[in-house]
Parts: sequence; C-alpha cells; structure tokens
Amino acid sequence: MAMHDVAVVGYAETKIVEKTDRDIWEMQAEILESLLEKTGFEKGEIDGMILSSSMTGAGNAFWSQTTADQLALELDFCQTVDIGGCSPTGALARACMAIDAGFCTTVLCLYADTQASEANRQRPRSYFGEWQQPHGYLGPPAAFGLLSKRYEHQFGLDYRALAKLAVAQRGHSVLNDLACEKLRKPITEDDYLNSRMIADPIRLLDSVMVCDGASGLIVTSKKNAEKRGLNKCVVPIGYGERTNYRARDNIVDVTETGHLPAGARAFAQAGLKASDIASFHPYDDFIIAIMMQLEMLGFCKHGHGCDFVKSNDFTHTGSLPLNTGGGQISAGQAGLAGGGTNLIEAVRQLFGEGGKRQVKNTKNALVTGIGGIPYGRNWASSVVMIMTPNA
Amino acid sequence: MTAIKDTLDVKREPVPSRTFSKAYWDASREKKLIIQYDARTKRYQHFPRPASKVTGHRALEWREVSGKGEIFSYTIARRTREPFAGHEPFFIVMVTLDEGVNVMGNMVHCDLAEMKIGLRVKPYWAPLSNGTHLLMFQPDR
Repeated sequence: MAMHDVAVVGYAETKIVEKTDRDIWEMQAEILESLLEKTGFEKGEIDGMILSSSMTGAGNAFWSQTTADQLALELDFCQTVDIGGCSPTGALARACMAIDAGFCTTVLCLYADTQASEANRQRPRSYFGEWQQPHGYLGPPAAFGLLSKRYEHQFGLDYRALAKLAVAQRGHSVLNDLACEKLRKPITEDDYLNSRMIADPIRLLDSVMVCDGASGLIVTSKKNAEKRGLNKCVVPIGYGERTNYRARDNIVDVTETGHLPAGARAFAQAGLKASDIASFHPYDDFIIAIMMQLEMLGFCKHGHGCDFVKSNDFTHTGSLPLNTGGGQISAGQAGLAGGGTNLIEAVRQLFGEGGKRQVKNTKNALVTGIGGIPYGRNWASSVVMIMTPNA
Repeated sequence: MTAIKDTLDVKREPVPSRTFSKAYWDASREKKLIIQYDARTKRYQHFPRPASKVTGHRALEWREVSGKGEIFSYTIARRTREPFAGHEPFFIVMVTLDEGVNVMGNMVHCDLAEMKIGLRVKPYWAPLSNGTHLLMFQPDR
C-alpha cells in the first residue's frame, strides 16, 4: 500500500453564503447525506473521520468527537487537522495515511465553517496578543500588505498582472452556481485596480470575503473502490507539506514560501513537473499568493510571476486553468474550511463533472493550501497535492 | 495626500507577557530595548522564545541594543478593528535592527513621502498604562 492506493470516491459541497441561518452540524449532515447518496456507502461503513479546523468549532477542544457524536458516527480514527487553510488538503493526506496504515478503511473528510455567522474563537493561546495585536497587525490584509511591498521592492509588481488573475477567477465564479451570489458578477481589470485600498498595496478585490459553507470527501482504498464498482475516482499521487519554512531565521525573504520544499516533494513523488500540470487550484486568500505559488512550484522563475501571468490564459479553456470554481476570492471563503473550495473543484474537474466550466485536460490537477499568519514570515503552513483520475 | 496617523491615541491594554518574555517588558519600563542572544550561535532572536531558535538550548542571554535599523517592509492599515478603528490610516512596519533581527512596530513622526524600504529608523517608546512601553519607530534623521 501507498498513498496512490487510496482513492477519493465522492465529493460534496454546499452553496457558499454570506451568513448562514443554518447550524454548522446541519451543514455537515447535508455533506454526509450527499456523499452517502453519491457513493452508495452505508453510514455504518464509514470508520474514519477527519475534520478541518473551524472558527465555529474553535474553543471546543473536543471538536471532532462532538461532531462525530452529532452525526452518530462510530469510528476507528477521529481527528481535527489544525494547520489553518492547509487543513482540508492536509486532512485528505492524513486520510490516505490512516487507510494506508490499516487504521480504518473508509474516511469521511469533512470541512465546515460558519465563521461569518458564528465564530467561537475566544482567547486563543498564541503569541498574537503580545507581538502582533499591539501594532494593529490584526489579520491577513496587513500581513499581505507587508509581503506585497517587499515583493515590489525586490522584483517590481505589475498590478495589471494581478488584475488579470482576479478577473479570470471571477469569470469562473459566474459559472459556479455554488459560489456566493454577491460575488457572481463579472469584473474588469480596472475594477480591480480601482477597488479601495485595505492595507497598501492590498486592495478590496485582492482579498477573500469570509463566508459560511461546507464540503467533504469520501476516501477509501483503491481496492475497496474497485470492489464496489466505484471506478470514477481520484487518486492522490504526490503530497508535500511544510510548516514554519525558515523558522530558525531572523530575517526571511518573504517572497519565498514553504511551497518551494512542499512542491518539490509532491512533484518528485508524482514523477511530474510544473509544465505537466493540467489545471491549477492554488489556495487564494489574496491574489498575490497565487502568483507567488506559480513561482515556488516552478511554473516560472522566482520573481518572474508577473510575466508568466501576462503570457498565459487562466480561464477554464486556457493554457493553465486556474481555480475553475472561482477560488475563494470569487466564490467566498468558508472560514477555515475555505481550502476545501480549491480542493473539491480539483476533484470535480478530474471526475469530469465541471459542467459549463469543465477543463479539457483532466490528466491531473494540482491543489495547494496556505495556513496561518506568523510574525515576520509570509505564512505558517504550505501544502501541495497532485491528483489524477483513476487510470 | 492623506495624512498618516501615529496610533499614539489608540487605547491599548498592557501587553500580556510570558515567563520567558517578562524581562523584555520589564526593561521597557526604562525605555531599554533588550533582545535575546544565543551565545552558542552568536545570534540574536526576536520575538522572545523559550529556547534558541537554532539549537533548542534554553541558555539565552538578554542584551541591550540601540533599536536602530532600517525599514524592511511596510503597509498602511486603512481598515481595522477595535481598538484601532478610527485611527486609520497608520503604518505597520517591519524593521531590520542593526543586530540582524526583524521587529514589528508602528511609526511616529513619519509621513508617506518619507516612508520607504531602507529608511533609517530609531526607537520611539509609547507608554502603556502599567508603566511598560510599547516599541515604535521614528525616522533617524
């Protein structure tokens, strides 16, 4: 057994909404029901569950147990993954591990957050209150402002290139019925450039909007999938994860990210290189993060992201389809479950179920995660996963 | 050009310290900047941690430094939350101290025209209600 002996046999997603009036457990129940209907599994056959972290679940140190109890799941493996926006893809990697190790056979990966309507983050134990909060460094926009200014200083920054990425993603959310309605209006490059500054040079249209939503996957061994006739499935073939890239350094080049080592590992395991990638589903909390990941994953050289963006077409029919559901920036960020949006879209495309936004080349897809806002570095965790349809 | 504010009027609570960072805040009472120093690797480190970032050993010294350095990067916060709401726009800067560590802070006595990456800065200590001070920066003209 190995990671590629494990298969994703079903995916599900709720609509992403600005503020839900539904309980988070009700949304999770909707995902579970949908996954059972799609895959034909009985509820009792699910023997593992892995949750992504959740602002709604924050403060409950027993989040995965409590959630499993609400859904009346009896499990041989149960945990929450807490690496921020990397948690959904990290949860899939851990599902592969648990199945590969023989701890369980069929895992529910469940990603849900209702952060917009119910955040329960009371007094998180962190260095934030001592070293970040006193300076008004209150969240991701300030972090990406500092990062962008530094990128601009080192390499120059063509805001038209960033605008092009924003417009391409927005075009995709217009085609995605599950994207947040408020965001399903086309934008132009000038709309992006003229949107108001939040934390210079971060603009409104650089940024995600916190929303509510849920998604999930059913993961089982490939052998089990075959036995049950679930031939349409997706197989992870490469994974890399890095938390606290350059943690020991005092002065870090913030234009370089943990996707460099995580990507190298994922590509080596998959036996692929950047130019082999058929569609790209990077974690997108801010537009510049997409461009930085293109550089770190070897689509272009470090510092050459703007040129690469300007010479490629990122629409679903283009040279490198990008976040074909709109990404989080244009579909809405379902709190800490938001990474599920990029991941589920990649799986959907490889299932060939992209509908109006189906990509032509479904040989593979690359998904990433970004998690955590540290002090003096860009972000805390980076993950990269490469997947293929069942060969 | 919009005037950039200095955040000195923000009602900040005293900062909660930890067993291994208390010395930093105690020194700030006398407007002294002390930084952790790892004698084994001859390196400074900030913010304070319970052990050396490089070796994991807990034997760390505190050394007083000038607090002079240069702007590594900056942003202008234009929309924030309490207690900063209404005090925008203000600078958040990352400063590379001459001793080789990056330190975050706000800027006083600095307008947009003067701000740039590489600008030389020196400390400005903003008083907090418990007698400690918060490290900020100002141009070292």
